[in-house]
Amino acid sequence: MILTVILLLLVAGVAAWAAERFVGPQAPRWVSLFAFLGGLAWAVFEYADGAAAGLYAQQAFAWIPRFGINVVLELDGLSLLMVGLTMFLGVVAVVSSWDEIEKAHGFFQFNTLWVMAGVVGVFTAMDLFLFFFFWEVMLIPMYFLIAIWGHENKGYASMKFFLFTQISGLLMLLAILALVFFAYDVSDEVSFAYADLKRLSAHIPGDIRAWLMLGFFVAFATKLPSVPLHTWLPDAHTQAPTAGSVILAGILLKTGAYGIIRFAVPLFPEASQDFAWWGMFLGAASVLYGGAMAFSQTDFKRLVAYSSIAHMGFVLLGVYAFNTQGMQGAVMTMIAHGFSTAALFLMAGALQQRLHTREMARMGGLWQHAPRMGVMTMFFVVASVGMPGLGNFVGEFLALLGAFQQNVWLAVAATFGIVVAAVYGLYLLQRSFQGEPNPDVKTMLDFGLREMSVMVLMALALVWLGVYPQPVLDLSAATIETLGVLP
Amino acid sequence: MEHLWLVPALPLAGFLLLFVTEGRLPDKLVAFVGAGSVGLAALATLAIGYEFVQSGQTEYTAALWTWMAVGDFNPSISLYLDPLSLVMIGVITGVGFLIHVYATGYMWKDHEEPAGYSRFFAYMNLFVFAMLMLVLGDNLLVLFLGWEGVGLCSYLLIGFYHKDAGNGLAARKAFVVTRVGDTALTLGLFLLFWELGTLQVQAALDQVAAGALDRDTATLICLLLLGGAVGKSAQLPLQTWLPDAMAGPTPVSALIHAATMVTAGVYLIARMQGLYLEPGSAQEIVAWVGLLTLLISAFTALVQTDIKRILAYSTMSQIGYMFMALGVGAWSAAIFHLMTHAFFKALLFLSAGSVILALHHEQDIFKMGGLRKQLPLPFWCMAIGSGALVALPFITSGFYSKDAILLTAYETSSWVFWAGGVLAAGLTALYTTRMMAHTFFGESKTTPHDLSHAGFSPVRIHMWLPLVVLAALAIGGGWFGIGVLDDLLGEVGEFSHASPQAIATMIVPLLGIALGICMFRVRGELSKFAESKLGQRLCRFLRAGWGFDWVYDLAFVKPFVALTRVNKKDAVDYFYRVAAGFTRAFHYIFALTQTGRLRWYAANMAFGLVIVLLIAAAWL
Repeated sequence: MILTVILLLLVAGVAAWAAERFVGPQAPRWVSLFAFLGGLAWAVFEYADGAAAGLYAQQAFAWIPRFGINVVLELDGLSLLMVGLTMFLGVVAVVSSWDEIEKAHGFFQFNTLWVMAGVVGVFTAMDLFLFFFFWEVMLIPMYFLIAIWGHENKGYASMKFFLFTQISGLLMLLAILALVFFAYDVSDEVSFAYADLKRLSAHIPGDIRAWLMLGFFVAFATKLPSVPLHTWLPDAHTQAPTAGSVILAGILLKTGAYGIIRFAVPLFPEASQDFAWWGMFLGAASVLYGGAMAFSQTDFKRLVAYSSIAHMGFVLLGVYAFNTQGMQGAVMTMIAHGFSTAALFLMAGALQQRLHTREMARMGGLWQHAPRMGVMTMFFVVASVGMPGLGNFVGEFLALLGAFQQNVWLAVAATFGIVVAAVYGLYLLQRSFQGEPNPDVKTMLDFGLREMSVMVLMALALVWLGVYPQPVLDLSAATIETLGVLP
Repeated sequence: MEHLWLVPALPLAGFLLLFVTEGRLPDKLVAFVGAGSVGLAALATLAIGYEFVQSGQTEYTAALWTWMAVGDFNPSISLYLDPLSLVMIGVITGVGFLIHVYATGYMWKDHEEPAGYSRFFAYMNLFVFAMLMLVLGDNLLVLFLGWEGVGLCSYLLIGFYHKDAGNGLAARKAFVVTRVGDTALTLGLFLLFWELGTLQVQAALDQVAAGALDRDTATLICLLLLGGAVGKSAQLPLQTWLPDAMAGPTPVSALIHAATMVTAGVYLIARMQGLYLEPGSAQEIVAWVGLLTLLISAFTALVQTDIKRILAYSTMSQIGYMFMALGVGAWSAAIFHLMTHAFFKALLFLSAGSVILALHHEQDIFKMGGLRKQLPLPFWCMAIGSGALVALPFITSGFYSKDAILLTAYETSSWVFWAGGVLAAGLTALYTTRMMAHTFFGESKTTPHDLSHAGFSPVRIHMWLPLVVLAALAIGGGWFGIGVLDDLLGEVGEFSHASPQAIATMIVPLLGIALGICMFRVRGELSKFAESKLGQRLCRFLRAGWGFDWVYDLAFVKPFVALTRVNKKDAVDYFYRVAAGFTRAFHYIFALTQTGRLRWYAANMAFGLVIVLLIAAAWL
């Protein structure tokens, strides 16, 4: 079933492309919308259907048996969460860019659907070759999304995005191949299977393991992104079209976090333990540096982009705390951040569409024109500031609580990140929607039903995650247990 | 009591209703929903309180659901009712309801945007909900939920008139400064959980009583929690946000920045009493924080000219009394003073609000004067509130609670606290007299344009009735407090009013008033001093709140802003840009070699061959 879903997304992509030619420019977005709604329904169905031996769905058959490469797709608790988020944000991305795209509608939806197909593959692949394959599948369409439909500096931004991801992906490929070779030394069998490699990696010499772990880590930390590998993100985000930003922040960053949790740590538990201090240090550094950078921005979208780096710092901090609270906090942060930041990017897109600028100096007092947009901006700023009762708080609190038990000083440093978050979050809100109304903005169209319903859905999701996160925590707890990395 | 959840749920429902309707409800209905939800919560509190006292129970827990269960960390959303939280929810819903009713009049047609009235009451109801969660939470995480929630509402309401960037700045300052304290509180929670494995208050305190914490850890946790408390309660060294918070509408100042939210720190420490009672814990530091804030803000209040800022500094100093009470072990007295202070400070703010409205938003007391005749109702209400603030013996509530604090301090602790408290009581009398004198006595400098605030006007019943009720509470709340709180919280303290220290405590405020009147009458000498160089400097120093803002600005704000401005382009990216630059440079250099001329290629090949051969020869 999983492969069918991936194939359906790929086919829907082609169909959307064709639909523009044969039906009309309005048709592709409907194809996308239905594809993602279908995917979402599938994820909900699998959840309702329950798990057998921890798996909600699975699929396996041989692909290139000569090299031990198989198609192994598994949907466990964590994968289900990520796939559900992917589908939901897919719907959001399509609806939010409903009338933003002005050229090549079909190819746009094609790329959107193909990115997401790659993402679903990344979240379910249990064969490292297959995983890498999907990792690349999601890169190219994303490049096109930025390069074709991006804003004024799209060439630079898309190239930067591509190079960062590709070079770090190359390191991962080398690490995967090396891991397979060393495992072959031990077992005399070539296998790319996750389960095999996880079992065999313990027999590889320690210093080699450390290097292999770093290869994976660098690829994932670039995607996450973590300081100092983050500089592609502000450019890519700022230049991407709204749907691109939503996908990028909401989902693609999570593939980095997912990779660390699923691959970098469980494949090399001991090397990761040794690396834990650095992981937490990079996390705390991202929290503080990302926050400070966010404050210094004057571009609405760029500010939100830097705030993403700060939030992803909590993920690193939580994962490398090596305890349940930290790990769960990391997962929770991934999901909550998916909603809150996607919403803020959506807001940035809506503002740009209306005002043709992202500069906050050219905004101010917008509340009076568009109170709904003001309220929604306020809500999501408050969420990303870490207000208890909303999802981000649960994630960040748990991550910090876990980190505190591992390394007090790094946790203390990162906790000050919540002050910095308040500084840049409120600055964003006040510069754009409050204060003296900008005389250049005579009127501005408020949110209509379409935009409002997307926003309200995401707001409700955050409230639900904030007051009753247990279903999500239970889902990820099952996976975290099977990873077997916690003492 | 099984309906305890209704108490916070009602204001929450009010908030949701106002939020969802997006200001489309008619204003009259908004007023009804906004004040009504809190009124119903007050009624529910009354019923539950009656039932609680009748049942003779000392505590009641209503577990609603598990918030998050992660490993051994599993806080639940639970409400905990005991005498302390009962008193708190009584004050919050009772005084809160009166202020809401007053606000229905105060905010009427006051707003520029069409949905402003509804937005105001939505925030106010959300605030009451959060405040109730804060005091009802049975574990520190629920308390923290309320704690951050009230902070958010405080932010929203300080910046309610958001078109004025100054208000936005004040709101932001309040939020960020209290967040610094919240960081300490968060770390305190982490440490507490790490040591005891729970955040549930009673379970944690039981463990502490059984000696689960060593001395240093207990002290550290106490200090971290104190960090949160001083932020929220505007005590040293995080007090700087409160005076600026007066940018909010006056009912907000009365509810949030006088009666309830700013006393959350007092509540937190009283709640964690068992922890602070540990030997070597930070209890004495609490007392010192209280004493210093008390004195510093009383001095500052002396030179303020804005009536709301005077009251703000006065609030800080009264909360200083409460902290001092907590520090010297007068737990019940602290809560007693919290309650009476809620009554009389709310009264002072609301009657000041009536004056401000009558004068069309004039807040400078030096531009008022002689208003006693024109605005008799606000005058009398303010006089009663001032009497309670000054602690006029026997006839005001403030007297009983302040007496309980000072005399306990005298008995149980160093004389310094008693003496400092008495000195501050004198200063309180002095600045209160100054405020009253300039506002209501002397020559008239302005004429009220709206006299409907002057007396018992029938169209303003929703504005004067709360004042009258609060005035009654400011007078009678003391007797009530002694009677009820003694039963609920344990001995507030019976003190002989004949001992020398009691008489001194009683007389100093009267002396302060007398001195104030003299100074107001004989202004010549004083203004001569105020105009001298030294006097001017002193005044400026005091008026600026002892330079705390200046120091923080210099030490934290300016460096942070400067650093981030300089690094706007992200220094890390520089590295990648240089790398890209090198790549590009090589690209151009090698591109130059592709000239398309055969001779050039041939020469290069020959040259390269020579070099290779030379290297080979050297190597061999």
